[in-house]
Amino acid sequence: MRILVIDDDLMAGELTAAILEDLGHETVLAENGVEGAERLGDGNNFDLVLSDHNMPMISGIELFRELRRQEIKTPFILLTGDDPEACLRLEPKLDGCLMKDFSLEDELVEILREVGNQE
Amino acid sequence: MAIDLTKFILRFVDEARDHLGKMSDGVAALEQGSADAELINALFRSAHTIKGSSRMVKLDTIPETAHKLEDLLSALRDGRVRFSAAVGQALYQGIDTLNQLVDRVAEQPEKPDLPAVDAELCRVLSAALSADECREPETSATPAAPKVAETAPANETAPANETASAVATAPVTGKAPAVENLPTTETAPVAEKAAAAEPKLKSADTVRVKLSKLDELIKLMGEVVSSHSRMRQRVKDLQALENLITHAEADSGFKGQLALFSQIFKDDVQMQSQLMGELHDKTLAMRMLPLAIIFDAAGRLVREQARRLGKQVECVISGSEIELDREIIDQLSDPIIHLLRNSLDHGLELPDKRVAAGKPAAGRITLTANQDGGWVLIEIGDDGAGIDLAKIREKAVSKKILSAETAGGLSEEDIIDLIFLPGLSTNAIITDMSGRGVGMDVVKRTVVEELQGEIAITTRPGLGSTFTLRLPISLAVMRVLLVEVDGLPFGFTAQQIAGLMRVPNDALVQVKAGLSAVVRDNEFIPVTALADLVKIPDSFAENRETRGNPAELLLVILEVRNEKIALIVDELLDEYDMVIKQLPEHLRWNPLVSGMVVTGKNELVNVLHAPALLALSRKLHRSSLSPAAGSGPPEPGAVGQNADLKILVVDDSLNTREIEKDLLESYGYRVTLAEDGLEALQKARAEGFDAVLTDVEMPNMDGFTLTASLREDERYRATPIIIITSREQEEDRRRGIQVGADAYIVKSDFELTNLVDTLRTLLG
Repeated sequence: MRILVIDDDLMAGELTAAILEDLGHETVLAENGVEGAERLGDGNNFDLVLSDHNMPMISGIELFRELRRQEIKTPFILLTGDDPEACLRLEPKLDGCLMKDFSLEDELVEILREVGNQE
Repeated sequence: MAIDLTKFILRFVDEARDHLGKMSDGVAALEQGSADAELINALFRSAHTIKGSSRMVKLDTIPETAHKLEDLLSALRDGRVRFSAAVGQALYQGIDTLNQLVDRVAEQPEKPDLPAVDAELCRVLSAALSADECREPETSATPAAPKVAETAPANETAPANETASAVATAPVTGKAPAVENLPTTETAPVAEKAAAAEPKLKSADTVRVKLSKLDELIKLMGEVVSSHSRMRQRVKDLQALENLITHAEADSGFKGQLALFSQIFKDDVQMQSQLMGELHDKTLAMRMLPLAIIFDAAGRLVREQARRLGKQVECVISGSEIELDREIIDQLSDPIIHLLRNSLDHGLELPDKRVAAGKPAAGRITLTANQDGGWVLIEIGDDGAGIDLAKIREKAVSKKILSAETAGGLSEEDIIDLIFLPGLSTNAIITDMSGRGVGMDVVKRTVVEELQGEIAITTRPGLGSTFTLRLPISLAVMRVLLVEVDGLPFGFTAQQIAGLMRVPNDALVQVKAGLSAVVRDNEFIPVTALADLVKIPDSFAENRETRGNPAELLLVILEVRNEKIALIVDELLDEYDMVIKQLPEHLRWNPLVSGMVVTGKNELVNVLHAPALLALSRKLHRSSLSPAAGSGPPEPGAVGQNADLKILVVDDSLNTREIEKDLLESYGYRVTLAEDGLEALQKARAEGFDAVLTDVEMPNMDGFTLTASLREDERYRATPIIIITSREQEEDRRRGIQVGADAYIVKSDFELTNLVDTLRTLLG
């Protein structure tokens, strides 16, 4: 899969990308929501967006809403350092929300399988 | 999973330190009364990022600790808690604890062994939140610190009564002020003994002190040290007294007692001198900061920019523990960042290009520091393509900085030096990174002039380039030369002195009224009396009588960026390493004085600022150049007559060219300058000149060859050519005439009328 990873924390972004690449996926990094939206709008085909929530300028949820408003339907998984349930309550249309956590790898494998199955 | 977390843990360490640095700056701003919402938000985000990324790299304790800080910051942000000294203290304590944890991670990134969450910190943070007790971290994979903070028996080594009272006050008041009563460095360690005890000790290691207080202390230390040097003078006085008494008639018992006292006193002063010296060094060391302040941020910057440029890079940093004077650290940041951007932007190639050249796709940028005696060497290197000399040369020519021929004759070093000229950037596309802001010219000026250092470049095609900065470790202590003028002492920093000369009074060349020069190594250097530049009042003039030999002049030659000036002084007093102090605010208006030093006799001496002296002397000469101000030489009408005559002046010395130009222009001639024979030949071919004045010894093409080449040109067959040189040998004179010069003037015989008359005669 080709996955867009958006995180203002470079280390976190690159670590997420490294995990994904280790799982055999292709990744592209964006540093904030604006850059992420540009990448998505460039006619690039992504199979999945993994975005951090708490970022300067545009938050992950705001980015998700903006993308849907623009009819960009790429599956969107939110990563958060706080409570994933709370984020899902805030925006139930998210395709998923994961804790940036020790269990990230396992949960990613699970989510990726689901996204893969939907295609 | 095959992800090597170590690499990411090291990244985490870098980034966390960066965030923590910003956070403590932020808290400092809050303390200063800034209540900016965005500031608090930025603090919150930093804590949040540390929490998130530490969790991702599977570290214990840090996420919970950062989370606690985050709680307090979000309460601040939402206005649930008002900022107070106690809140600031709690935030600092949290930041310090995180710093310690990050330090431990840095020590053993493969297998970080972190203590449990610091219960005392939890208590302090919670108290700041006005909570009654420390709550367990909500999401934690590790067992949280046992809830023993309030009840734990004090550690036996801790002062029991203080701990008890501190613990007692906190729960009773339950309010923030309780925190202030807690001497953080003295509270007893709680919770897990071995693990928690160590960071506790570490927190007792440092104390936060206001910079202004530190500077006051250093100033005071300077006073103490200089007043101590008076004691040494007293020892000498005592010895003189002793000698007097030895020869006088006195009780031998009294003489013996005096001798004994004198000896003991001398020993005491000697011992104190040593202690003073040590005190001096130690206090100055307090001004020092580690290079890590610049280097840590630099690593992050390199990675960020590399990503933006689509380049892969590995950034290797070493020597960040080396300490430099705070002032140097402050000023060094911009040049280092510029040089790093430069390496990334201009040095490293794009990955495909690198692979095609047989190099690894990821480039390597090194940032290293090494100590070398009183100096520090900082190297910024890359394994990129190296500096393209041909491209720089082309650029310099196309930007009209150099003529094609001059450029053609430059040595490799000369071409590399061109990149320090303003307005020269070799990258075809000016990117938003190194194309703006500081230029290489500013880098050089900061390093050489502000920081009294040096900069050098080595480059090898295909293998990369290295920029080496050599800097004094402390700006506070410098070698100072003390001189005397009209009985008043003045100081110069040794870095700006190009030489000292003693010349007979009549050896000066009178270029024109108000401007004389001395010839040194084939160069005219304008001479000015220091007394005139610093405007010493006439009341001091009587001291002038005391000069040793009025027939001889003592000259101090200063050099700033290729320009020199010779200052007449009366006497050289001394030379030592001294602490240069800043002038008090209300005395800083005078640009000529850069600071002051205190001598052994407790005299305050002005340290003069060479660049300002040069600028002032240039201004004085210019104003005396207007024909009206000059006494005599330019005769009425002469100026107008010469107005159409164009003269080409060729000399490789900037000073010489300028002096000859000044002189000729004061007679109304129109002067064009050239730096060497090649440039002169090119200019002569491009436009017509009525006369040529040339030096002999110059790079690329000497004056003899220039003269011969001009004579081959139809247009210059009969044009007056005057050779002005320091070569006095008859043989040279003959050769000059042989190649076709019309006149041969030796610089030391140079006189105002000499050149102008010769020129006038030749021009008819």
